Amino acid sequence: MAEALPDLGPNLDPRVFDSEAFQRDPFPVYKQLRDHHPVFHDRFHNRWILSRYWDVDAAFQDNGSFDRAMYKPDGPYDFGSRHVFGPNILEYGNSDEHRRLRNIVAGQFVGQKLNDFLPMIDRISQEVIERFIDDGEVEIVSQFSSQVPIRVISNMLGLPREDEDTFVGWYQDLIAGLGFGGEYLARGLKARNDMWDYIDPMIAERRTNPGEDLLSRICTAELAGGRMSVEEVKGFVALLLAAGGDTTDKAIANMWYHMMYTRPDQFADVRDEPALWENVFTEMMRYDPVVHAQFRYTTREVAMHGEVIPERAGVILYLGAGNRDERAFKDPDVFDIHRDDLHMGRENRSGRYKDGKNGHLGFGIGQHFCMGYAMARQESAIACTMLARGLKNVRPKFAEHDGIIAPSIDSGGFRAPRELWLEFDR
Amino acid sequence: MSKTVTVDRDKCYMSGECYYNHPELFRMDEDGYPVVLVGKIEDAALEQHAREAAEVCPAAAIRLS
Repeated sequence: MAEALPDLGPNLDPRVFDSEAFQRDPFPVYKQLRDHHPVFHDRFHNRWILSRYWDVDAAFQDNGSFDRAMYKPDGPYDFGSRHVFGPNILEYGNSDEHRRLRNIVAGQFVGQKLNDFLPMIDRISQEVIERFIDDGEVEIVSQFSSQVPIRVISNMLGLPREDEDTFVGWYQDLIAGLGFGGEYLARGLKARNDMWDYIDPMIAERRTNPGEDLLSRICTAELAGGRMSVEEVKGFVALLLAAGGDTTDKAIANMWYHMMYTRPDQFADVRDEPALWENVFTEMMRYDPVVHAQFRYTTREVAMHGEVIPERAGVILYLGAGNRDERAFKDPDVFDIHRDDLHMGRENRSGRYKDGKNGHLGFGIGQHFCMGYAMARQESAIACTMLARGLKNVRPKFAEHDGIIAPSIDSGGFRAPRELWLEFDR
Repeated sequence: MSKTVTVDRDKCYMSGECYYNHPELFRMDEDGYPVVLVGKIEDAALEQHAREAAEVCPAAAIRLS
């Protein structure tokens, strides 16, 4: 639970966004933004910031004014070469091409396709749990949450099961490299190269001899300009690893963190009624979601709250701040899985719900709404249910925990505990 | 023969898939429901879009007749 946040007043030094204190606990600054600077012009970082629930919602909804990619009035989007992985579909901004690319895979993570994958998620969770079930303790970030989603994706891509352990190793090195940099970076880049060497011949094979798997589907999808290049296929695979693996990995760790440390009293409810893991997921995605910031570029002048954001300006949408907006949720700083003012069920791309409640902003809204939303929810709930069922009398190993942190909220860094030790009866 | 797109508001749960995938055919109203923008569809390409929208709708709330 949380105490009332301090009122920091109107004085906001934008260098705070680079501080470790902000990465650990951004919420007091979020409140300062919402209360005193609903449209904040951050001249130090040359960008604008929106933080209130309905303003973030409005920007997500308004494709005419806010584009995911840098808007070019006279030609295609500029992909640049700044990427660790190669280009991915998000850089196609709000174009028709983006819609086409998105629809190649979007259908794979919902409805019957998703239902077909659920037994596999079950089985993989169980296999991973069996590796530590006799130990009496487990560090779930390295031994569970970073294991399950990546094995699921690997399965969906149709990679051989005997290579899964290798694939998980590459993934963990890569994510550590991207997240922590420094000494981790070299290992991360090596992992990326090894992974590409591994996957190159597979791409070649599935282009000529496709199967039913997701990799074949990506390799053979027909777009306006023909098939995707090898580099584009890799960019797509990398996006699936990061957006589909890493986020779910962190979601699972965050859910357990909140049940062990934020609301141990509500963990009792979840043990009695495992269906409530979906509520844990939803409230986690509101209270402190894996992703806190999304980026847009204005395609025209936007007037809000007496300010004018110019055309072609970079804008940060702090969905982590919108989720804590008193204007949208009662007692927003309290974590409560029984909250009655939050839409608890499956998310809508529109951000609108028949029950009239507000949804969390954790998946974004609209054009770039997370296409793995249903899968993420289902997979997290299944993995958590299996773990809670498998570990007898599970409890935190340490009384204190230093909490959830992001490497860098503003560059899209995913928030999670670095480690989370559990103890259980053998 | 021209075709007409209709949305069943009882079935619709505002997933938003139609108006985000096919802004040429739908837009979102203030409550989140889709509004059909084209009364009679004469164009073959547009008809194909409408068929896609009906197939993709997770609520099976869109009909093309």
